[in-house]
Amino acid sequence: MAKKILTVDDSASMRQMVTFTLKGAGYDVVEAVDGRDALSKIKGADIGMVITDLNMPNMDGIELIRQIRALPGFRFIPIILLTTESQDNKKKEGKEAGATGWIVKPFKPEQLVAVVKKVFA
Amino acid sequence: MDAHKQAFIEEAYELLAELERSLLELEDNPGDMAMVGQVFRAMHTIKGSGAMFGFEDIAAFTHNVENVFDQVRSGTIPVTRELVNLTLTARDHIRELLDASVSGKTVNESRGVDIVLALNRLVPLENGGIPQGGKGEEKKPAPDMVTYRIRFKPHQDLLAHGTNPVLLLSELRDLGDCAVTAHTENIPVLEDMDPEGLYIFWDAVLTTDKGLNAVRDVFIFVEDDADITIETILDEDDFTSAEMPRPKLGEILLKHGDISGEALHQALGSQKRIGEILVEEKIASRASVTAALTEQNQIRKRLEQRGESAAQISSVRVPSEKLDHLVDLVGELVTVQARLSQKAAKQGDPDLVAIAEDVESLTSGLRDNAMSIRMLQIGTTFATFKRLVRDLSGELGKRIELTTAGGETELDKTVIDQLKDPLVHIIRNAVDHAIEKPEERLAAGKDATGTIQLSAEHSGAHVLIRIRDDGKGLDPQVIRKKAVEKGLIPADADLEENEIQNLIFAPGFSTAAAITDLSGRGVGMDVVKKSIENLRGAIDLVSRKGEGTTITLKLPLTLAIIDGLLVQIGEGFFVLPLSSVEECVELTESQRKSSKNGNILNIRGDIVPYVRLRDEYDIRNKPPALEHVVIMETFGKRVGFVVDRVIGGHQTVIKNLGGAFRDAKDISGATILGDGTVALIIDVNKIME
Amino acid sequence: MDNTNMENTGQFLSFVLDEEVYALDIHQVREVLDLTTITKVPRMPDFMRGVINLRGGVVPVVDLRLKFGLNASEKTVDTCIIIIEIDLDGETTLIGALADSVQEVMDLDQDQIKAPPKIGTRLKTEFIRGMGKKNDRFIIILDIDKVFTSSELSQVADKENETARFDEQVQRA
Repeated sequence: MAKKILTVDDSASMRQMVTFTLKGAGYDVVEAVDGRDALSKIKGADIGMVITDLNMPNMDGIELIRQIRALPGFRFIPIILLTTESQDNKKKEGKEAGATGWIVKPFKPEQLVAVVKKVFA
Repeated sequence: MDAHKQAFIEEAYELLAELERSLLELEDNPGDMAMVGQVFRAMHTIKGSGAMFGFEDIAAFTHNVENVFDQVRSGTIPVTRELVNLTLTARDHIRELLDASVSGKTVNESRGVDIVLALNRLVPLENGGIPQGGKGEEKKPAPDMVTYRIRFKPHQDLLAHGTNPVLLLSELRDLGDCAVTAHTENIPVLEDMDPEGLYIFWDAVLTTDKGLNAVRDVFIFVEDDADITIETILDEDDFTSAEMPRPKLGEILLKHGDISGEALHQALGSQKRIGEILVEEKIASRASVTAALTEQNQIRKRLEQRGESAAQISSVRVPSEKLDHLVDLVGELVTVQARLSQKAAKQGDPDLVAIAEDVESLTSGLRDNAMSIRMLQIGTTFATFKRLVRDLSGELGKRIELTTAGGETELDKTVIDQLKDPLVHIIRNAVDHAIEKPEERLAAGKDATGTIQLSAEHSGAHVLIRIRDDGKGLDPQVIRKKAVEKGLIPADADLEENEIQNLIFAPGFSTAAAITDLSGRGVGMDVVKKSIENLRGAIDLVSRKGEGTTITLKLPLTLAIIDGLLVQIGEGFFVLPLSSVEECVELTESQRKSSKNGNILNIRGDIVPYVRLRDEYDIRNKPPALEHVVIMETFGKRVGFVVDRVIGGHQTVIKNLGGAFRDAKDISGATILGDGTVALIIDVNKIME
Repeated sequence: MDNTNMENTGQFLSFVLDEEVYALDIHQVREVLDLTTITKVPRMPDFMRGVINLRGGVVPVVDLRLKFGLNASEKTVDTCIIIIEIDLDGETTLIGALADSVQEVMDLDQDQIKAPPKIGTRLKTEFIRGMGKKNDRFIIILDIDKVFTSSELSQVADKENETARFDEQVQRA
């Protein structure tokens, strides 16, 4: 069975792009529009990895990472943060919150796949 | 326009509408930080997605606005009427840019510059100067082989970040020749252990040409969660092999910081092997010594390899005509030896037979040796294409990277010489027609830089050369249309996609709509195919529209002498290339007559079609009651050839049939048997087509 | 006359095909062999008789009777193979020509050679370099390079190839 990845982004075009890329690489993808939506979708969905945007309404990426890490059963799930170059300090914040890695926007589809492969066996 | 771009445009229009509402609201409530956040997010998304989907102008412009709003968010810049006004103008400009990208019109760029300048005036001086992320993609020259010592000592809580250290180590292994030693000495006793903690650390010795940054990149996500030391222990560019250091075990341990200098001196004073002493004395852990030994081995291995390549320099240069002459002589010797063996067998004198056998084994040794002298690595030829691709892609405004693999694969010099033109043609085609311009590639969601992979590998007595590009692939519909136009196929031909794509090899077919200076020199792929066939090779093409094309050339190692299987049909003798022979089975008359529905054999459950060569060749004498089928394999397809009699292995000196027989179908040459009879060499690839 | 490679040597080898006498410029004749075993190459036109072993080399043999549209001949003790050097697409190559018998090497001066007649021969006129006359017999002097151009050699083969190619398409279809 294909591994399932939860992608969290308030931008529909980003979500579409991430989903398209990852599906093309053979992964299953679940989409969420913000942190709150992500938390409601992660439970019981057999998610193996999370890719989240940083800036989102309702609940931002950092808070989402903290909450996911606090969930039982998600202590060790790989979480990738989508950041932009201007948010260098956010990388650190994200890492402290428990992110596994990050991708700097804009990125190419193959970079996304490379990072996913890097943290996701 | 592709679906991603379309999605972005729709989303951007929505965001712009939302941005307008938020800005107007902000004007009424300047202190509403949630509103500031919303404006920032909208800009951020437009910028981020814009850059991803190829709207660079929008992304660049929005970047500046976003920057200003980042400072509004952090309180450095107050929300003023002026700010809102300017931002609204900026929003309108983004909309114009967006409209322009839909309609294809141009936009007054100076307006954007004016807006940015005005916005920047709002930024306090000490924060001024918009950071410009200049990402130069400079290509460095290919680095040499460097051996690194890497210690990866994760913090105990690494796993809590979702990091799997095993993946990092396997990533490291992918970079080159890598040996990893795990240190388990820090694992505490059970009651002291945090079950979620990580106590192991690793030493790795890696030899790679990917450069230090590639090694660092492996650990990019865990830099803060682990102690990572990467040291260069052997940079092969710095040394000639004679002066390369050969480090001692103790020195390595010392460098690792696993033992002290004093302890080393003490240990060296005794007589046993230093590694054992250090472990016994508990000066160093077993793992530390193992890691050091691994490192020592790796360096030794590299040095030996370097030594070998250094030894190759002490070679002799010989004019190639001399080698050609040698090979010709060996060919004649093989023919004479065959005569001798046949005569000896006929006369039945045991002494003569023994001599003949000795001559046979010497001849065969001499043959292999002479052939191997004429073998050249194909890498030199590959290297010349780098320049070709570089120059051609420059002329065409394309970005193309040529990667090569298997350059050490050896082929007969004559094959390599004659291979060059077809390869140039295939590569030109790929550069010219297959790889798209950077804009097209980005629009298709591909890397702006296209790649052409050139690789060579051995496959039995053949060499497979692959030319793979990630360009636009062959469009079966276009090819089909053209083939019908040119009368190559009937309009209603029911062909599979791959069959259609292979029509580009048909004579008189050329896919280039516009003949360019580069590949339109009146030479089509049919000529390429012909030249490969003249080399007794075969060509195969697999292409997927939008994804790229792979052309595989299957070439014999040599054109002079091959191992053949001699068979007889009627009164004629034929040679089949032994390298393609899988097995021989019998075919009884009743078997042949029972399989009414076509010529099909059942080989252990596999359906194998067969060709009765005597029918093909119109040989009319009476066939024997028991015929034989030689099962041949090429490009993964199996076909049986029915012959009267299988005589056996035959060292086949290949002779050309000459220009007069250049059109001979499925006969690729001839050879002379021991009794002077001419046997014909069957071109298996052609028959199988 | 446009044969640059044939300086006027004036020496010709004459041979017989179906009771008519033909001649070749001696400079293009390498040697004359007795008939030996000819190995047929499958799927080639009938006039391409096959290949022979010439001291370790492989040389194709053409039946000139069939090439010129004459009747096939029974082989006799006189039947021989004339090994000719021809220029095929810029490459010098050897080819064997099957003849009923070889007669002699003879001298013919330029003025003894007349232009080929427009009509009255069974041969394509471009194959004929001229007509010689010796002892009141007409001798047809061949322009052998023209006889063995690649298009002449593959003429029939091409037709076969085309049908074969078409067959292939039909089979695929």
